[in-house]
Amino acid sequence: MFTRPDNWNELSPLERRKVRLDAWQNAPVEFVSPEAEANYKERIERLRKIYDMEPHDRPIADPFMGANEYVVRRKGIQGKDIVYNHDKLREPLLEFHREFQPDVSVGVLPYPGKSWDLLDFKLYVWGGQKLSDNSVIQAVEDERMMADEYQDFIADPTAFWLKQYLPRAYGALGPLTMLPDFPRISESVDTIDLLLPFGMPPFQEMLHKMMEAANELMKTLGSVGQTGAMIAAEGFPGMGFNIVKTPFDYLGDTLRGSKGILTDMYRRPDDLLAACEAYVPVLIKAIVGASDRSGAPAALYVLHKGADTFMSKEQFEKFYWPTWKQVMLALYEEGITSYLFIEGSYNQRLEYLAEMPEKSLVCHFDQSDMGPVKEILSDKFIIAGNVPASLMTAGTVDEVRAYCADLVELFEDAPAYIMAHGCYFENTTDEKLRAFLDSVKR
Amino acid sequence: VSKKLVNAIADMREEEALKLAQEMVEGGSEPMAILDAARQAMDIVGQRFEKGSYFLPELMLAGEMMNQITELVKPELAKMPEVKRQGKVVIGTVEGDIHDIGKNIVTFMLDVNGLDVLDLGVNVSPQKFVEAIRDFEPQVVGLSGFLTLAFEVMKETVEAIKAAGLRDGVKIMIGGGQVNEKIQEYAGADAYGKDAMAAVTLAKDWGGG
Repeated sequence: MFTRPDNWNELSPLERRKVRLDAWQNAPVEFVSPEAEANYKERIERLRKIYDMEPHDRPIADPFMGANEYVVRRKGIQGKDIVYNHDKLREPLLEFHREFQPDVSVGVLPYPGKSWDLLDFKLYVWGGQKLSDNSVIQAVEDERMMADEYQDFIADPTAFWLKQYLPRAYGALGPLTMLPDFPRISESVDTIDLLLPFGMPPFQEMLHKMMEAANELMKTLGSVGQTGAMIAAEGFPGMGFNIVKTPFDYLGDTLRGSKGILTDMYRRPDDLLAACEAYVPVLIKAIVGASDRSGAPAALYVLHKGADTFMSKEQFEKFYWPTWKQVMLALYEEGITSYLFIEGSYNQRLEYLAEMPEKSLVCHFDQSDMGPVKEILSDKFIIAGNVPASLMTAGTVDEVRAYCADLVELFEDAPAYIMAHGCYFENTTDEKLRAFLDSVKR
Repeated sequence: VSKKLVNAIADMREEEALKLAQEMVEGGSEPMAILDAARQAMDIVGQRFEKGSYFLPELMLAGEMMNQITELVKPELAKMPEVKRQGKVVIGTVEGDIHDIGKNIVTFMLDVNGLDVLDLGVNVSPQKFVEAIRDFEPQVVGLSGFLTLAFEVMKETVEAIKAAGLRDGVKIMIGGGQVNEKIQEYAGADAYGKDAMAAVTLAKDWGGG
């Protein structure tokens, strides 16, 4: 939980950023030993200097997202366990940290498989459900907002989410359509409109299911939280993120589907732009709220449909960038750093990122050309990436070592660099992972 | 009119393209003439994609226009003799992966470029590929995968094709997501295609077209 100091309104964006980073860095941890405490402090101080773009002894290597499946799979954990059985992940995760001594911790996302089963969640399929036991999760593309529903979304994105999107995303949440609209009059009848659905048997049945699913969720979060606390107690800090999406990706990935949104760019461009605009204030409020609740200093965007191969530069400039930039600038004002995990390549997009204020971004690249990245962005922002998953799977240890050494050399005189994956490497070897982690150590 | 149709499709003017196609049908144009115009337009779309002025929105919309125009001429088309295709391709997203957007675009581009494509869908097991190769007898096999887990499965699929004694009879191309030359070598495929047009070029070369 992050609490704003009394003088918050007088602080500049970078001062607010510092307050958030201080709170994250100094959050209380119960350590298992003085040695663990010393290691934790050394590690988080180095990471902090990177976030601050201040001089520090060496880059860090971050396995946080890239290796999170591999580190449990190497101990025989199956995909379905990552969705259903979080207790089972604890020992493999602790063992990995003890054995490899990474600069930052590796976490596993708290996928709540049992809650998903209870609510008939449709956005994904997963291991132990419709996928084989060794799979984790995969997204199911579908239209969850129809082409003729743009006006509903634009008028009220939150109401759309609650009454139109959720019933399509969760089979068990159909009765949410019974909820009242914004009250036509807030007098005595308001109570009737509000409570009426709650008196109906299908709605009550849904509420019971939601409570059952929520109880399962609490077990999952409890287990994942305990594992995270144990990893921190042994001396490993986390990167400190909340996960978010850009307005265009939210509309594309979640509501319209790829085919829907890509053809909307021609068929109903004005509706699409208006929907992105309508979503901006809602999204900003949601991210700031989540950052305050969790105390995480950064918002992690996993970027999808704005990449070089998806759309032209002109389309990016028209449809993708303006509303995303608005969101990132608003977060910057709130002292929240935008951590961009840039999937695919962004060779044609670097100058747009360069428009952002200094220290507002961490730019984590997947397949982009790192030479121009260094030249155009590394004075202003923290740079991370881009060890390819293909190399970690099919390359030799020496090839991994050479690739990482080139990155270290390239960013030697940059203010802040994080050695990190391009795409996730779920299938590698201990030797290659060690070569990756050790590449930054002197 | 047919030149106008070519331009309307190639320039992404969907409403105009459909109206023109409708007029041509009503005016008694040969269904093949309408489809030829649409194919010419797809050639232009493909060239613009290769040159980097068109991207996925244009390929998607072109696909939509092509489908709608094919539907329009279908009643007439049923009476026509089958066109000679330039080679056969079996394609699918490998086992464990359910992503199909990239694969569908490749399938569509192969189809409009005159190849006979059997699309096995998503989450296709090595065995299913083997059976399809036996039954359909393609010159080309396309393995698609968006997730990194597909690397291993592509390798297993190539091995299964080999074990079935079918490897020498087919060329195998792979593509999608994080796939590159490194993975081509790892999986034992013959080539990797970075996008749909690369797949068309490969398949045409191998298919004898």
